[in-house]
Amino acid sequence: MQKIKDFLKGFGEAFRHQSTEYIEFELRELENVFALILMGSFIGIPSPPTTLVMRLMPHMVKEIRVMESRAINLDDVFAEVAGMFDID
Amino acid sequence: MREYLLPKEGFRVLFIIGKGGVGKTTTSASIALGLAERGYKTLIVSLDPAHNLGDVLMVKLDDKPKKITENLYASELDMEKLIKAYLKHLEKNLKNMYRYLTVINLEKYFEVLSYSPGIEEYATLEAIRGILAKGDEWDVIVFDTPPTGLTLRVLALPRISLIWADKLIEIRRKILQRRRAIAKIKGEEEYEIEGEKFKLPKEETEDPVMRELLQYREEVEFVEKVVTNGDKTSVIAVMNPEMLPFYETERAYKSLRKFGIPLRLIVLNKVIQLSVDVPELKVKMEAQERVLKEIERAFKGIDVVKLPMFPEEPRGVDWLRKIGGMILGGENP
Repeated sequence: MQKIKDFLKGFGEAFRHQSTEYIEFELRELENVFALILMGSFIGIPSPPTTLVMRLMPHMVKEIRVMESRAINLDDVFAEVAGMFDID
Repeated sequence: MREYLLPKEGFRVLFIIGKGGVGKTTTSASIALGLAERGYKTLIVSLDPAHNLGDVLMVKLDDKPKKITENLYASELDMEKLIKAYLKHLEKNLKNMYRYLTVINLEKYFEVLSYSPGIEEYATLEAIRGILAKGDEWDVIVFDTPPTGLTLRVLALPRISLIWADKLIEIRRKILQRRRAIAKIKGEEEYEIEGEKFKLPKEETEDPVMRELLQYREEVEFVEKVVTNGDKTSVIAVMNPEMLPFYETERAYKSLRKFGIPLRLIVLNKVIQLSVDVPELKVKMEAQERVLKEIERAFKGIDVVKLPMFPEEPRGVDWLRKIGGMILGGENP
């Protein structure tokens, strides 16, 4: 009986992990898009009103640093995406 | 009296627009003086970088409202100074971040910032917002604006800024939702960068970015609500009875309508009225006739005031009073 319980628990945890994996990926992408829009003028896309960007940027410092560190640690974006969609 | 020039819901805002040199400043000053003499506490503000409000009123003006006569206050905004102040503020902000964003060479970017398109519009909008925010000090605020093109872009900015703010708020909200969801399942995530430990905000109330976005939205929405409210704002177009000013006014009318900003009055300035036939002016008179007809067709339902070409240049208080009376309508006080 205990074994079955453990099995189901493990099953649930795996599910949980998989579900957050998607959300985490989505979150990262959303964060990237948000920062990208704010700094659009650096890469040549139209940016939001300058006043707004300048007011938001000081609050974005920590997030941008997290993104920076992610970018440093990231080695294979395609593998990550492929892994998520169970492509071997 | 033309009621759309008088305060109805709190203070009244009048924007005087038109092509360069058609008589915007004289019209603005006349309306302001007329309203002041009828007992309304009036502020007239010149946003035009080519200042001549001071010349018309024959006083030296700066960016602080200066009392001209009973109930009439005037100021000229120094756009260059405003833009400089605005850029200083931006630069300070950017430099604070500079140490974090070492990847990009920002110093180079500062230098070109003052030439970036749109800076003048944003600075003008900020100036207008500042004045409107303190609008309750006045009964009527008259804006003497720069030539049509810039004014139209400035008046369109609140709507555009609102769209941007809304989109960014939407993305931000999604980000925070996902952060909350992940924290619920896995516990809160802590980041460590260069020895500093911190958490990223996940509630709307604790997220400074969201707070700033909502604050900005509120500010812009305030301006948008004022300029699109026909009980608060009236736009007055000044033009001469010639084809080019007519086309420009027609285009202005269309784009104002697109942004929901009410154009209420057209002041047709320098209409030539001859008591005898002058053959040299025949062509000019015919052209004028044509424009008068076109105006009737193009601006249905909009009030038109015709101001004749006066035998002398209308300067000084007496002239302003006379013109003000013609534009405001009704009895002179």
